[in-house]
Amino acid sequence: MKFRSPPMPSAEMDMTPMMDLTFQLISFFMMVTNFDQTQVDERVRLPTDALAKPPEVRVEHQLVVNIGYKRAKDGTRLDPQPFVFLSGEELRIPEYRSRLQQEARVYQAKEVNLNDVTIVVRADSDVPTGQVQEFIKMSQDAKFEKFTLRAQQPID
Amino acid sequence: MKIKQQEPASLQQQTTPMIDVTFQLLTFFMFTLRIVGPEGDFNINMPPPGAGAAKAEILPDIKVRLLADQNGNLASLKLGDRQLGIGPGAFQLLNSEILKLVGGANAARSTDIEVEIDADYNLHFDNVVKAIGACTGRLGPDGKTIIRYVEKIKFAPSVP
Repeated sequence: MKFRSPPMPSAEMDMTPMMDLTFQLISFFMMVTNFDQTQVDERVRLPTDALAKPPEVRVEHQLVVNIGYKRAKDGTRLDPQPFVFLSGEELRIPEYRSRLQQEARVYQAKEVNLNDVTIVVRADSDVPTGQVQEFIKMSQDAKFEKFTLRAQQPID
Repeated sequence: MKIKQQEPASLQQQTTPMIDVTFQLLTFFMFTLRIVGPEGDFNINMPPPGAGAAKAEILPDIKVRLLADQNGNLASLKLGDRQLGIGPGAFQLLNSEILKLVGGANAARSTDIEVEIDADYNLHFDNVVKAIGACTGRLGPDGKTIIRYVEKIKFAPSVP
């Protein structure tokens, strides 16, 4: 007598639910990722104010400058003087003067009027106001005229 | 003669490369995600030195003075010659006094009046932002719209 052997169960896993979930996760991360914040330095602890609202009109030309302190993990300052944080570089505020002039030349080479360029000052809450003003003065010397001070909205 | 039937080619698509790429994308987005609170800007009016010399003085500037102690904390907040104290209450008082000076929220004068912030050199920057916020206006009942008091804010020169 001939016996028919039962079909072997498939060893392949059903990947469809996992793929569904993975695509949903990717969609979520794509939605919440803000590529505008690439110029933001996390070391800067911004002051908070309820009136700090994002601008309604997008500024076409802006130069974001992060001024803050090098801090230990517990928040204590490692250096009493603030730095300007660039991508991978840390400069003292007076050292940033040449960079500002360089930026001004780049804008001029692109035929962008410096009056149309806004300098966004992201300064740490603890930075002395006088040093922020010195930075603004340096920017004025480099022919920049528009400035905004950035603050964070309080989290409820 | 028995002819062995050829097995049909598998119709199932090879999903391994797609899963690889998908996981790489997921990893990228997970690592690049930064959770930060929403940020906003305060415009300040800082014309280059000498540019405002010819400006006709229609209305006098409102002067806000912020004095610091040795540690850079706020020691005193003044509106003109009037002491407003320290702490959050002082900024609230500044906000209501500015409203009185301007003559009401969104008043026509608010575009002409300029506030000059005169802060001590070593004063922590967050106090200046609070003062600018108090001079700028307040939030409406919906908590979203800004009722503006003053639009022009400038800094007095700071001396170390």
